[in-house]
Amino acid sequence: MISDKAKKQIDAWVAKYPEGRQSSAVMEALKIVQAENNNQLTHDNIQAVADYLDMPGIAAAEVATFYENYNHKPMGKHVIRFCHNISCMLNGADDLIAHLETKLGVKTGEVSKDGLVSVKKVECLGACVGAPMFQIGDQYYENLTIEKIDEIVDGLK
Amino acid sequence: MVEIEIDGQLVNAEPGEMLIAVTDREGITVPRFCYHKKLSISASCRMCLVDVEGAPKPQPACSTPIADGMKIHTQNERAKASQKAVMEFLLINHPLDCPICDQGGECELQDVAVEYGSDVSRFSEGKRLVAPSDIGPLIQTDMTRCIHCTRCVRFGSEIAGIMEMGGTGRGEDLKIEPFLAEGITSELSGNMIDVCPVGALTSKPFRYELRSWQMNAIESIARHDLVGSNLYAQTYKGKVKRVVSGDNDSVNETWISDRDRFSYEGLAHEDRLLYPQIKVEGQWKEVEWEVALDYAVKGLKNNILNSRNAQKLGGLASATATTEELYLMQKMLRELGCENLDYRLNVKNLDQTIHLASNIKLAKLEQVDYALVVGANLRLEQPMINHRLRKAQLAGATMNALNVKEFDFNYPVSNTVVSPNQIASTLAGVLKRVLEAKSEKIPEYLSTLTPSAEATDMANTLLGAEQAVIILGEHVLNNTQASSIANLITEIAKHSNSKTLNVSATANALGAQRVKFTPSSTGMNVNDMLNAEMSAFLLLDVTPEYDFHHVNSALSALSKEDVFVVSLNSFGNELVSQYADVILPMAAMYETSGTHINIDHKMQSFSAAVSAPGEAKPAWKILKVLADLLELPGFHYENSAQVLSEVAHQSEVEHEYDSSININENTSAIETIWMHSPYQSDELLRHASSLQASKIGQMNTASMTQATADTLSLKSGDRYLGVPIDVTDAMADQCVFVSSNQATNTGGLS
Repeated sequence: MISDKAKKQIDAWVAKYPEGRQSSAVMEALKIVQAENNNQLTHDNIQAVADYLDMPGIAAAEVATFYENYNHKPMGKHVIRFCHNISCMLNGADDLIAHLETKLGVKTGEVSKDGLVSVKKVECLGACVGAPMFQIGDQYYENLTIEKIDEIVDGLK
Repeated sequence: MVEIEIDGQLVNAEPGEMLIAVTDREGITVPRFCYHKKLSISASCRMCLVDVEGAPKPQPACSTPIADGMKIHTQNERAKASQKAVMEFLLINHPLDCPICDQGGECELQDVAVEYGSDVSRFSEGKRLVAPSDIGPLIQTDMTRCIHCTRCVRFGSEIAGIMEMGGTGRGEDLKIEPFLAEGITSELSGNMIDVCPVGALTSKPFRYELRSWQMNAIESIARHDLVGSNLYAQTYKGKVKRVVSGDNDSVNETWISDRDRFSYEGLAHEDRLLYPQIKVEGQWKEVEWEVALDYAVKGLKNNILNSRNAQKLGGLASATATTEELYLMQKMLRELGCENLDYRLNVKNLDQTIHLASNIKLAKLEQVDYALVVGANLRLEQPMINHRLRKAQLAGATMNALNVKEFDFNYPVSNTVVSPNQIASTLAGVLKRVLEAKSEKIPEYLSTLTPSAEATDMANTLLGAEQAVIILGEHVLNNTQASSIANLITEIAKHSNSKTLNVSATANALGAQRVKFTPSSTGMNVNDMLNAEMSAFLLLDVTPEYDFHHVNSALSALSKEDVFVVSLNSFGNELVSQYADVILPMAAMYETSGTHINIDHKMQSFSAAVSAPGEAKPAWKILKVLADLLELPGFHYENSAQVLSEVAHQSEVEHEYDSSININENTSAIETIWMHSPYQSDELLRHASSLQASKIGQMNTASMTQATADTLSLKSGDRYLGVPIDVTDAMADQCVFVSSNQATNTGGLS
């Protein structure tokens, strides 16, 4: 269920915590397993992470369902995580999200037909200074406009 | 002790204790949902906000520690306003479906809403709805009603020891639910119903039955294990409709096992015996009590008494019977001159019996710093004893289990897995190391023994412990070295200053021992009786296919042509009908008054919560009348309390027993340990349908290693003694551990 490579990565996180506190690595472990699994966490994935970290499945599920970082439905290769909290909202995030939806022909939470892109509304990512903003992978894109979004999205492969 | 002021009244309290504990003690009402005295504090519902002078904001009473000179107002405007505001928020998403909610009438939210709620809602938006989910046959969920107090979640992780419920999602999407599709499996799960302050978790078998105010709550005692949990039987029109836990810190605290909570369902089973029956020329006939009793007395007289042959009469009882019933039955048999009586029906070899004291109190169990569990799966067999040990473990105690299989404890236990014939030698190793450490003389039988590494570890931990306990369980009952194992434990405890706990015989076994329901040297034990030429049997609550170890011998002994059998039962049973001549319908649990003696040797008496159905009568009354009709002296009892006072006046006699120890591993045969699943341990449980449908009730596996399976020529998918096999490496070779919900299979056992 979890590849050896992922296990190694998880072990590196487990090593950062005191012995017997391996469950502290649950957030990173879920992230690692999700990355291996087409950007999605299934019930079995969550159970596998819980088993690997010797914690109850429900405890891992609580974390996995609390944070927006984890997806529980199939996602595109790239997930555009669009902030819709107050600063971004005041700076027009809602219109930009609507534009993105029209452009890609998807609703938030869905995957584009070619399987390349998904859009997800998320809570504040701590980049209010550059609102409106979104995140793709590990990269933040700030001070977004329609033109800028088109350019970024068209460049996705 | 410091002095604080609550609502102008001076109160003494311990510094550091939580304010709500003080108000509860003083009888001052503070509303709350998430606080529960036996669970950790989450302070999440905010309902208990009170005004503490000097604090800038209202403080939650459940998480505000007491400090000297504190002045608290629970009723002033600020406190009331805060509580009302919290109430309004809690009611935003709560459906007002009280008329169809089972919790209605006993709902903490409903009660508090009456006092603190507004009569008009200012919330005009849509309410949250949570899809129903099925979490098993015992608990009904209606999570739309959930107010997220997390009591059930905390109960799971803190008390039941397995976190099964959890909060998924967040904000308005937060849902309390189990992760696993199989739902809730804990043996203590029903307590979630009791702790749930609203109607989100309610009793499934009780669904839509009644309102709480329609029922009488009658204090009673659970009789399925050695603890005798205190509980309330809630009754309506002469039927037990529900069971909820009672409070007794020295017994079950405030929890009861699912077994104790849901067994009452069996009372209404269609197999209940309602009328006395006699067998005339092979045909069963329902008759009046007078006729049946007369028939029984005549039969006994013809078969044994007239020929002065009381030695050919045998009396057998199940250990589930009350102390009074067992006392009357032995008194009656002994008055007739009969010494053949026994309750140890499930023991294979009565030359190998277990004599081990229980000398530590339940409440003290949670203070031990080392426990060695031998031959027991405590979680399922004695859930409340296991709960105490779990508390000890959480407080830092070391736990060892010496078993034939790695069982699922709900706390960390270091498992030593050995085959049945190595249990004695392992314990002997422990004893040798203990004696060596104390520089005491090593007895002959230990001289050549080399203790195993595990035994050495156990001895070292035992000697390092301030208070250790060694617990001996049911799996050793039929070990070929059972008595040596018990004697070794006694020796180890003596030399290491440890306590012992004997959980090898359950239910009211201690009551049976107290009234000497075992033969003296002149009488026959159960296995002797089954092999002797008997003329008559008197059976109390005996279900042959589950109760006897030697089922086949029992059936053939009881079915003999010229043997007259009087059987007292609460449920109809085909095999009983085959061998009995008279069947007398007896009252089941909750239908009779009596006494259960628990592991603390505490006599817990209970009254009848309801009367028995049909013509069934309490067994103590049946036995009394039977004795009167047999013209025996000294049976003028008007109630069971008079019987009990006679029991209490009798001195407890220490039984002489064989204290010899033999540790030779004398067998290489494959041993079978047959355990009924915990919900099959007595007749009432076997008829409790929801328990039977639960995961524990469905347990039916014969566990063995690959090597054992090979020896037995079995492969995955096969059955052993009719039970599906489960090949595992978490157990010892040379043995099969059966945990079954089927009748005892005698194939390899007799």
